Amino acid sequence: MIPQINQYLQILEKSSFVLGAVLYVIFAMVVIKQVGTMSKNVNDKFNSVLITFSYVHFVFAVFLVFLTLVIL
Amino acid sequence: MPRVSDVDTIAPDDPVVTKTKKVKKTVQASVVDYQNSNPNAQFRDKINEILGHTTNPLSAFLVNPKVFSFEEKADDEAILLVLRPHWFTNVGWILTTIVLIFIPMFLPLSTIFSGFPANYMFVTIIFWYVVTFIFAFEKFLSWYFNVFIITDERVVDIDFNNLLVKKFSEAKINMIQDVTSNVVGLLPTMFNFGNVLIQTAAEINEITFENVPNPEKVIKVLQQLRQEEELEALQGRIN
Repeated sequence: MIPQINQYLQILEKSSFVLGAVLYVIFAMVVIKQVGTMSKNVNDKFNSVLITFSYVHFVFAVFLVFLTLVIL
Repeated sequence: MPRVSDVDTIAPDDPVVTKTKKVKKTVQASVVDYQNSNPNAQFRDKINEILGHTTNPLSAFLVNPKVFSFEEKADDEAILLVLRPHWFTNVGWILTTIVLIFIPMFLPLSTIFSGFPANYMFVTIIFWYVVTFIFAFEKFLSWYFNVFIITDERVVDIDFNNLLVKKFSEAKINMIQDVTSNVVGLLPTMFNFGNVLIQTAAEINEITFENVPNPEKVIKVLQQLRQEEELEALQGRIN
């Protein structure tokens, strides 16, 4: 009985991690969109660096989803 | 008798024309002088003298930026000054970020997550660093994109709240009624930054530039621009 509960708990933990990572990917997409909008509104030399950072952040977020699916 | 002369003086067709002509002539003469001496250039020179020079795009006090632009900018509009909150206002979140970076190294995570397997701990730490990164990135973005712009035509305040809400306020230079600044506290006095409050006759009756560096220079520039606008208005009326 106890090993079965542990198994359920593990599944619950894993799914919450995956859900968190997926939500984070959505947030990373929002960040990309927002940085793009802000860059359009206020245009300066440094904007390209910020846009690059937002894409790198998105890649990391996607990588996190894979990590949670593979490692956990 | 005195009554008649009184009536004469206040009558609309009172022949005080000569007086008006005189006034008009002197104004015209001053305008000619004004045109000859190229006052716009004079005003700009004065403004440049007040502001000095900066080229760093990450400066909080960007003078005559070559690349900087904003969506609502008119083609013939010249940006004179771009202001962001003073760099010192970033110290809080920079220190928080540094603490967040070091927390996983110093806190005994193994005791907190004792029930968790090692792979869960690893993913948690990666999560922690990604969230730390986005915390710092968001703070930087709100600093970088919240700008106060002074052009030769107007003052503009662009605010982004929580990356999702954009607020745009503007006031024409000739609508500015009063400009005040306040530098309150030890650190603002030490680092010379404070708020500049602009009272306008426009729909938005107050624009505040918060925590901007060199508020006294900002006020001087606005004074120059207001004088320039007044002269331009005068010139327009005569022509």
